[in-house]
Amino acid sequence: MAAVASTPRGHDPGLPDRAAAPDAPTELRAGESPLDRFQTEAEAVSTIVERVDAAGAASAVAAALEAAGAGAVAIAADLGDLLEPVREACRSAGLQVDDYADVAPERARAAALDATVTGCLAAVAATGSIVTTGATGRAAALIAPTHVCVVRADQVVDGLHALVDGDVLAAAGSMFALQSGPSRSADIEKTLILGVHGPGRVHVLLVV
Amino acid sequence: MSATTPREDAEVGGRPLPPGWAAPAHQPGADSLADTTFEERARENLARPFQRTAIANATDHTVFALQRRFAGTAHDALRDEARRIRAHAITNLPTYLEQWVDRAEARGTQVHFAADEAEARRIVAGLCAERGVGRVVKSKSMASEEVSLNSALEGAGIDVVETDLGEFVVQAMGDRPSHVIAPILHRTQGEVHELFSAMAGEDLPDDPEALTGFAREGLRHAFLTADAGISGGNFLIAETGEVAMVTNEGNGRLTTSLPRIHIALVGIEKMLPRRTDLAVLLPLLTGHGTGQQITTYVSVLGGPRGAGEPDGPEEMHVVLLDGGRSALLGGEFEEALHCIRCGACQNVCPVYRQVGGHAYGWVYGGPIGAVLTPLFRGQADGGELSHATTLCGACDDICPVRIPLHDLLLGLRRRRVAEDVAPLSERLAFRAWGLAWRHPATYRASTAVARAGLAVLARDGVVSRRVPGLARWTATRDLVLGRRR
Repeated sequence: MAAVASTPRGHDPGLPDRAAAPDAPTELRAGESPLDRFQTEAEAVSTIVERVDAAGAASAVAAALEAAGAGAVAIAADLGDLLEPVREACRSAGLQVDDYADVAPERARAAALDATVTGCLAAVAATGSIVTTGATGRAAALIAPTHVCVVRADQVVDGLHALVDGDVLAAAGSMFALQSGPSRSADIEKTLILGVHGPGRVHVLLVV
Repeated sequence: MSATTPREDAEVGGRPLPPGWAAPAHQPGADSLADTTFEERARENLARPFQRTAIANATDHTVFALQRRFAGTAHDALRDEARRIRAHAITNLPTYLEQWVDRAEARGTQVHFAADEAEARRIVAGLCAERGVGRVVKSKSMASEEVSLNSALEGAGIDVVETDLGEFVVQAMGDRPSHVIAPILHRTQGEVHELFSAMAGEDLPDDPEALTGFAREGLRHAFLTADAGISGGNFLIAETGEVAMVTNEGNGRLTTSLPRIHIALVGIEKMLPRRTDLAVLLPLLTGHGTGQQITTYVSVLGGPRGAGEPDGPEEMHVVLLDGGRSALLGGEFEEALHCIRCGACQNVCPVYRQVGGHAYGWVYGGPIGAVLTPLFRGQADGGELSHATTLCGACDDICPVRIPLHDLLLGLRRRRVAEDVAPLSERLAFRAWGLAWRHPATYRASTAVARAGLAVLARDGVVSRRVPGLARWTATRDLVLGRRR
């Protein structure tokens, strides 16, 4: 992985360097607040967004799980400092709590979960996306009907360019992934259906 | 955890599969296009109820969403940049392929190279056989349609389950996709209801949510029991050796996360030099494909499960498919390789909107299908498709990477003429016409003769019956004679 991270940029003289972000719908417009744009875009694709403070984050996770009617939940290791407080809050709320890493090896058990709780590597303001990695768990964001994700305000990057061009992804591991709202399909006569293979409910707690 | 699934276990959601479900009757690519003509297929499709309305509704919806999506942005500049990136990547494809393979292998991905369709089938079937794979889940992949992968795997005794909702319906019906983005654009909710009810053995509620729920339940079972996941790929990133993939349903992510083996079948032309190029190409792919800012799921996969990661496949294989692509490098039709398969040209094509994707006879429909089919399959097997267009140029206008589809179609027509495919009478007629219209006097003489001749056949200035030599035109259209000034 180190070899990849140290690859010099613009190594091919025939390809112009792009220092600035392109003017695309996936970028922040001048003067926009990243947090406001994130919330607007995430809500536009049916994500529930709630702003909480650091002290209230763990109990907000438990409340979000209760609101979803979850019983069995798994927690991903990428919650960092919040891992233990979230575990405690969920247990106090009477939920059955496991670590995602313990559940994941048994596919059937993972699929029987009501909800997963993860952190993220980053979030993209302009697209309302959450960025997870192999460390989070490839299927952690979409194996259960509900996904609760904790996003710290300092993890929010402006747009797609800032994500793929920056150093954020140096910690990506074997893969990185963006998810923007609940799973959806419009295959049957263009009728939009949520929760096809992934979650029907995505709840983001934005820690500000 | 995932013992090899025996063949007799073929079922969906604990329910036995109806006859024919696991072995689709019709496999694209397996049949020769020479059996039917475009005209015959178009006629058949034009007669289908619902289809023309459905295509118009769906494609208009997507095109309007596209226009709203890019309003207020420098859309043209973005497309110019995308074109530069794609042109550069294709011009330098051998270099970037080498770089991609080096980086991918360094990250633990096993890379295979398939020169043609048969080799791709052999490689994938071989990987499955060597590893005792009994069941495969697939996420939508046009490359796998190109090589008719499903029938090859089924022939090897492997249970194959398409997991994209539309592809699941296509597979169960023994049908094939009619649009690169929306595979069952041509099917009604009623048909899906009928199919799923038959599979369930009970009358399911006739609403999209319940029907989707039925599919989800069955496909979850497939995901949990599959030994391998087979996906396509939207981009290869040379800088990092990664494969990028977009989906909305999440089936692509589950396909590449849950089974112990992941195999991606990707056309070699999907190359991007750098990760940063995703910032240009992704919004164009999703914006032009569905009108979305970004698809619900984007996965950028750089190898098998890493140390300390809780899930993911033990092995990642990428099969790089040539299948006629490298033959286009450096030639007149190289720009066809710039395509990112968004389907926008299909949405605006007046021919596609009437006849649908199946009329094109192979995997790709619409303008890009009319270009790629003869290039990948040969003139004899699709050369006529260069005439399945009105040359209106709407495809050029909407292409996110500015492929001059109109010029490529004209080029293919020229090539067809050069290869003497047109009948002698047609060639002589056009030659005579060309000579006659070269000088004012002969031009005037020819129009006078034509006018006199047509006047005999016309009634009130309109020719409605078949005119010798022009029968193909006048059989379906009136020829209105101009008035002499």
